[in-house]
Amino acid sequence: MSEIVLKNVVKAYGTTPVIHGVDLHIASGEFCVFVGPSGCGKSTLLRMIAGLEGISDGEISIGGTLVNDLPPRERDIAMVFQDYALYPHKTVFENMAFGLRLRKRPSAEIESRVREAAQILQIDHLLERRPGQLSGGQRQRVAMGRAIVRNPKAFLFDEPLSNLDAQLRSEMRVEINKLHKRLRNTVVYVTHDQVEAMTLADKIVVLSAGRIVQVGTPDEIYNRPAAKFVAGFTGSPPMNFLPCSIDADGAAILLDGGIRLPVPQARRAVCSKLAGRRLDFGIRPEHILAEAVGSDVATVPAHVQLVEPLGSDTLGLLRIGTGEITGRFAPEAPLSAGATIQAGFAMNKFHLFAPDTGDAIRDPGW
Amino acid sequence: MAGATDMKLGLGRKKTVWIAAAIVAANGFFPALWILFTSFKTESELLRHPITIVPHDPTLMNFVRVFVDQPILLFLGNSLVVAGLSTALCIFVSALAAYAIVRLRIPGRNVVLSVLLAVSMFPLISLMVPLFQTMRTLGWLNTYPALVFPYAVLSMPVCTLVMASFFQDIPGDLENAAMIDGCTRLGALWHVVVPLAAPGVFTAAILAFVNAWDEFLLALTLSSRVTSRTLPVGITLYQGEFAFPWPIISAALIVAIVPVCALIAIFQERVVSGLTAGGVKG
Repeated sequence: MSEIVLKNVVKAYGTTPVIHGVDLHIASGEFCVFVGPSGCGKSTLLRMIAGLEGISDGEISIGGTLVNDLPPRERDIAMVFQDYALYPHKTVFENMAFGLRLRKRPSAEIESRVREAAQILQIDHLLERRPGQLSGGQRQRVAMGRAIVRNPKAFLFDEPLSNLDAQLRSEMRVEINKLHKRLRNTVVYVTHDQVEAMTLADKIVVLSAGRIVQVGTPDEIYNRPAAKFVAGFTGSPPMNFLPCSIDADGAAILLDGGIRLPVPQARRAVCSKLAGRRLDFGIRPEHILAEAVGSDVATVPAHVQLVEPLGSDTLGLLRIGTGEITGRFAPEAPLSAGATIQAGFAMNKFHLFAPDTGDAIRDPGW
Repeated sequence: MAGATDMKLGLGRKKTVWIAAAIVAANGFFPALWILFTSFKTESELLRHPITIVPHDPTLMNFVRVFVDQPILLFLGNSLVVAGLSTALCIFVSALAAYAIVRLRIPGRNVVLSVLLAVSMFPLISLMVPLFQTMRTLGWLNTYPALVFPYAVLSMPVCTLVMASFFQDIPGDLENAAMIDGCTRLGALWHVVVPLAAPGVFTAAILAFVNAWDEFLLALTLSSRVTSRTLPVGITLYQGEFAFPWPIISAALIVAIVPVCALIAIFQERVVSGLTAGGVKG
């Protein structure tokens, strides 16, 4: 059992609070990813779990043990750092063996565990080298090897792939995923890369300004964001937002510029309760269609301002009424800058947010 | 055109650096060479006119006299013990102090650094009377601790500053990794920081050792017995009441310089990188 539980965890530097009462439960064997913009407190929270930062209030327990006052070495965790943090004066073997040596494990056991971990990570031919003689990807593998060799209760990853180039990052992402599926240890992983978060996580924790905004599966975070912040943070390009109001019977959403979007029958009951309120209408780029076809699709005249072909798909910057939105289209979509098209809005996919709080307004069935 | 001007400026700058380096080297080496040549001269050659620089009739007799006239091996042993122990103590305490200054969130960190710098500027003579009184009260006069502790303390400010400048270049995550691997904070200092800051540690150690090795005033005041004298004080015993045997004294000085030169030669590579690496962030 290696669950991690945070209860009302607070961190303050002097009188300045940076983490405001975080409650979180990470189940044993779960892969939990902290995401959020720079300065949101995700790395601080990870370092508090590691014991590298003290906590000002609350409780942290790992595997059922309260670890508030335990130093990092007694928490039975391993951590992989953004800049690898390999000991430059030790060989790869000694880097990986260091934790076991400090725990006074027998030499034979150290030898076999290091070699086994090195084989898993395919770095067994590098054991006699020093970190300075390795490439970035190899160093990252060694850092992971140093973590897995101790078989700790939990792995903590602090933006481990951010120093790698795009191709290597994608390879290492797959490696980490495979490693987790093989070892099944609890993982807490900090990143600002949404692709890493979406592909690796069992659970995503979205943080903003030292608070948890939403905890959920990747699907929940992407498709049912609890707040405008989450919707705007996930997806690339992110969700489009346009100010709107709802007509008296909830049958249509009215965008600025006199655009009327009919609401599908299934969503009208909720919308009718919001009649007359000013709201933010949200729609993901992939839910905007270059041609208005299919049911529950609202047709909107859109002026194409910019076309960005990405190969696999094409991004189009569209002016709709008084606002601008980005759509993600198939590469063969008939888009050309300066033209006016009849864009389709998939109205069974839209989101509504309260402009003052940013909270999502939704029915559980949406 | 601009490139040619830049190249000219570069060459001019190189010349200036070489000339400056030559002046510094000459200033440092000339007295040492003079003493080396003198140690091989006879007294009559030393007094001859015109003055000779390289000995015309070199002799090793002065070195024989150095070992016969006074117990120089005893002085050498005393100096080694005193300088060695004071260096070890100084490095141990300075490493801890430097680490605390660099890594711990100490309020008034800059004040501590300024005080350290100020303390290192204290004239030694002003400490003489209180130190003598303290050592006499402790009953340490003419013993090794009478010199070991003051020498260690006197070198601590500069050693702390040297090591602090090296420690701060070591990424904090290395220590964090060590603490997660199983080290205490002091364990991380010992296993990770000190080995990585080895050039700085060696530089500080050599500074402390040379300071202790060369020191005269305290050694003369706190160790009056022949048996407890260190080399700088012991060398004064070669001076007679009416005579001043320069060739023998020069030979004794060469004997005194050899261990320090050997020490620096052994650690030269680390010291050179130590003297340059700490000051410039790469």
